[in-house]
Amino acid sequence: MEGRVFDAQVVLSPKDSPLGKVLSEYVCARVTRMDDVDVGLFDRDWNNAIYFFVLNADEQIYMRYGGREAQSPDTYNSVESMRIALEQGLVLHRKYLQGELPKQERPKSMFPREMPLLVERTFARRQCVECHLIGDFQNIQRERDGVLDKLTHLYRSPDIKTIGIGLDVPNGLVVKEATGAVAAAGMRPGDRIAGWNGVPVWTFGDVQYRYDKVDRRAKSLEITVDREGRPVVLTVALPIRWWWTDLRFRQSSVDPRLDFEDRPLTGDEKQKLGLKPDGFASQVKQVSGFAKIRGTHDLRIGDVIVAVNGMDSDEFAHTAELFLKLHTRAGESAKLEVIRDGKRITMPLKTYVLSFRK
Amino acid sequence: MMRPIALIALLSQAAFAQTQFITWNTSYREALREAAATKKPIFLEFRCEA
Repeated sequence: MEGRVFDAQVVLSPKDSPLGKVLSEYVCARVTRMDDVDVGLFDRDWNNAIYFFVLNADEQIYMRYGGREAQSPDTYNSVESMRIALEQGLVLHRKYLQGELPKQERPKSMFPREMPLLVERTFARRQCVECHLIGDFQNIQRERDGVLDKLTHLYRSPDIKTIGIGLDVPNGLVVKEATGAVAAAGMRPGDRIAGWNGVPVWTFGDVQYRYDKVDRRAKSLEITVDREGRPVVLTVALPIRWWWTDLRFRQSSVDPRLDFEDRPLTGDEKQKLGLKPDGFASQVKQVSGFAKIRGTHDLRIGDVIVAVNGMDSDEFAHTAELFLKLHTRAGESAKLEVIRDGKRITMPLKTYVLSFRK
Repeated sequence: MMRPIALIALLSQAAFAQTQFITWNTSYREALREAAATKKPIFLEFRCEA
């Protein structure tokens, strides 16, 4: 089970430990059933099996703690950074009690029992409302209502490493390494990230939540850092596909499963094959054994997919795999144009729907 | 005579039993009431155990 060790470290904190001492200043609550949770107020990426909020009796949220990257659920969890965050939470709480912190508008409430698809497939069957099911059924509903934006709703929680941020995790939002887009914007090791598009952030959980709110078509982002006690605002030019993350850890039935992985062709490879330089031609690098069992497709490693349903370029996709993820509804079929052993062939592809408890 | 490993396990259990741990409320509503009464902030964990 993801997060088991970190959960135990937090929950079994001795009162006289550094974390326990600061936790003693809080009312601590641990909720393991999502049935009655206000998912409007406690909105988050529901593919996190462990997540924390710091708030007050007026349900004003001061900060979040948690969040993960695709490679591991534990990268950003640390007892030491949690202690630092909770110390800051006490400062914010004192300010709130003294009227120095403006009251935020409470997000609209939404409870799992108000989500018809979730009710039908969990409550009615006496099954547990697992966290990821909340996110998945929100997306199924969006898809049915025609408002699903895969760039935003499927590719949740963009990875800060894509823009070059490496955190000194035990020290919270202190930057250990700055490369790529953030280095070009002037971020330096030792900076402490303090704001994300103008909103104060205190934890990685805050950063990831605010990053997720950035319009996927945005070209830039403002990050405020605390440098030697002074705020410095950096304008970061967002690279193409800054929002892309590996979806394989997610349980999502709006994600069309393809049973293959590919890589984009280089410019030289496209030129040699006489393909458009800005097209999404890609080479198959892995084929799942399920492809034959499920009859998904007949792709082989080394095949070059040059077009899908007659399309060979896209505003966002740089591979056929991504094009299919973004533009195909799970369960739909598509027609692939493929170069195999120097010959062009066409073949059908049938995507499938993840059937996890659906 | 007691084996060393068994003795260590016994001592560890005794130390664990004497350690005082943080108390966790399992009801969010109850935590809200307690926070209002004590003026303390709330630290809320959501843990999906399935």
